[in-house]
Amino acid sequence: MSDTHSETDMAKAGVTRDAEPFNPKPARLPPGLSVGPLAWMKQNLFATWLDTIITIICAVIIFMLVRHLVTWGILDSVWDAANRRECMNKSPEGACWAGPRLWFHQFIYGLYNVDERWRVNLGFFVLVAWMVPLFLSRVTVKLPTAAGLVLTYPLFTSYLFYGGEKGIFWTIVSALGIACFIWAMINLLLELFAGKPLGKLLEQKFGMISLKSRMLLLLALWAAVSIVWSGVELEVVRTVRWGGLFVTMVVAGIGITFALPAGIVLALGRRSKLPLIRIVCVVFIEVFRSVPLITVLFMATTMVPLFLPEGVTFDKLLRAIIAVCLFAAAYMAEVVRGGLQSIPRGQYEAAAAMGLGYWRTTGLIIMPQALKLMIPNILSNFIGLFKDTTLVAIIGLFDLLGMVQAMSEATDWIGLVDEPYLFAALVYFIGCFAMSRYARHLENKLSTEHR
Amino acid sequence: MKLKHTVMAAAALAVGATASAQAKDKSTLQVVQDRGYMNCQVGQPNPGFYNLDSNGNWSGHDVAFCRAVAAAVLGDPSKIEFQSVTSQVRFTSLANGESDMLSRTTTWTATRDTQLGLDFTTVTMYDGQGFLVSKESGITSSKELDGAAVCVLTGTTTELNLSDYFRSQGMNFKPVTFEDVNVLIETFLKGGCDVYTNDKSGLASRRSAFPDPSKYTILPETISKEPLGPVVREGDNQWGDIVRWSVFAMITAEELGINSGNVDDMRANSKNPEVRRLLGAEGNLHTGLGLSNDWAYNIIKMVGNYGEVYERYIGEKTPVNIPRAGSLNALWTNGGLIYSPPFR
Repeated sequence: MSDTHSETDMAKAGVTRDAEPFNPKPARLPPGLSVGPLAWMKQNLFATWLDTIITIICAVIIFMLVRHLVTWGILDSVWDAANRRECMNKSPEGACWAGPRLWFHQFIYGLYNVDERWRVNLGFFVLVAWMVPLFLSRVTVKLPTAAGLVLTYPLFTSYLFYGGEKGIFWTIVSALGIACFIWAMINLLLELFAGKPLGKLLEQKFGMISLKSRMLLLLALWAAVSIVWSGVELEVVRTVRWGGLFVTMVVAGIGITFALPAGIVLALGRRSKLPLIRIVCVVFIEVFRSVPLITVLFMATTMVPLFLPEGVTFDKLLRAIIAVCLFAAAYMAEVVRGGLQSIPRGQYEAAAAMGLGYWRTTGLIIMPQALKLMIPNILSNFIGLFKDTTLVAIIGLFDLLGMVQAMSEATDWIGLVDEPYLFAALVYFIGCFAMSRYARHLENKLSTEHR
Repeated sequence: MKLKHTVMAAAALAVGATASAQAKDKSTLQVVQDRGYMNCQVGQPNPGFYNLDSNGNWSGHDVAFCRAVAAAVLGDPSKIEFQSVTSQVRFTSLANGESDMLSRTTTWTATRDTQLGLDFTTVTMYDGQGFLVSKESGITSSKELDGAAVCVLTGTTTELNLSDYFRSQGMNFKPVTFEDVNVLIETFLKGGCDVYTNDKSGLASRRSAFPDPSKYTILPETISKEPLGPVVREGDNQWGDIVRWSVFAMITAEELGINSGNVDDMRANSKNPEVRRLLGAEGNLHTGLGLSNDWAYNIIKMVGNYGEVYERYIGEKTPVNIPRAGSLNALWTNGGLIYSPPFR
């Protein structure tokens, strides 16, 4: 009560006094060292004596490390030498980058025939070009392009990389990949420069154009490509020669593309009400999850040939890829199941109330929500798989790590270990970091609620 | 649906892969000739014996014997696909038919020859376990190693030989074991142990990568017998003969003074009946092997004789630097053990 009194008193006084214009004093500077980088340092690094000591010790350690790294890796390093002895003579204490430099192409292509390396490059560029429409927001036709990429790109590249006689069947099958690629590129160009995909343009010109006639157009393209393609024959490059980053990408790429769909199927199977399907899925998942990947790989490489009839051999790389795929699918199934379980029951009930059956409920209501929730887990699974592919080095495939190890055992470079391993670490870091950034981007793009 | 396509994609990789069933009664020779290339098993790269060069090709002492067999059987030493597997699965991988022969510093022992369904053909290199010490230590004989700390790779026969040797000599030692050879070398160079033990060929090649190899010496004693040579599957004697006599052809060629440079001249002009028989100018030594009469000529022309191969990959001019003169790997005429039965 007394407060109210005093306030009214002051108000009265104010009214009676001659009102001076209100001139706020200029704000005083904050007391020294409370803002700015110096203040931040004082607060975070030198707050107490103990902090100061720890800071100084850490700074010294970091300085020494960086100085050592810079002198070893840059200042004293050798970039030009024919063998390790020459490196040692030039600079005994520095890094010998000449080795990884000379072996760079081998790290990328492995033992792939030197004259045929363009095929790997071509395969890579086709992949990148095919992925461009998926990342451009201006392009509207995304789903068919993605499906074409996942389903037909392997058909085309498996011949491109392996080569040999194709026969009629493989000519036609691999030509489908080329036809789909050309189709995707035509669509991309039309969308970029004409603003509409092929289907829409045709619709404008000739009136209604049905899905069927578009398929006919693709079929004609496919037939044309097959005829041209049948005249091309590439030299055989057997898979024992595939190596380096190329093989890492092949194994990881196929593993990743296979794992997600197979994982979804397995996870749905595990939640199925049909006992047979459920039991098969549970057994598969549990068996593959309870053994290490290296065991599966060893089984695939040494045991499988023993079960095959004598004289029948089965490509080693393919066996490793199948092993990686099955293993990755089992892990992915559990990630997907985790996502499915986080969907509240109300969603199922609401879907049922709208009269949706099992497939529509799953495809339209449950999966889209669950997949969005699972993105971080799925991507960390992919990253794990990408790194796990190094295990194929143990069964004698020369992936990136295998090539790095081969280099330190080559007569000219015996014992050169640190530099090639650092190179491999850098490549793996770039790959994994890019994937994790992409996951973040996807999460931001898809998160429509809970902001 | 999607699964089906992915399986198809995987099958796409297998296309043309060697999935053709072969009749059971076909000999290895027939299979290799039909296939058009040979599968040779080597190990994970090992300097001098089997390693990758900067063009992605396999080369080395053991690789050369595979190339010799390919030259004899197919007339082209490049018609080989190399399988590189870890030493744990090497015998399985030969027995299950993935490789036609194995040539990868594998020691010929009674157990391996008699119990694994494999046949050792002959010896291409006599190795043995030894010790590497720094010259500063002043040690000149392994008898002076009592109480030494010994660096050794774990899980190998090297480790067993080591303890056998010290026990039989009544000496003590402190083992310092490693999984990885590069870590072992680093420890040894920093003085973490007094001695490094391994097969002498391995010691020589590792020493070549030391900052100053001249400061280290390999002690004269050899504490184990390690005869290394190519291995084939049991049950196909013809194929075993081909591998064995391919090596013998290289040894005999060196003994008779035939090398890759003068082989054409020798074939045309030599009057020595053994040279003529070896090079197919007369006689029919090739018929028993099922090869053409220029098989040995091809080996020497395309790969070289034993001495050439040795000097090219592990001799004193290479970084591996294992001196041949005076060792067991000299020709028998020079006091070594490299000896071939006669070509008659």
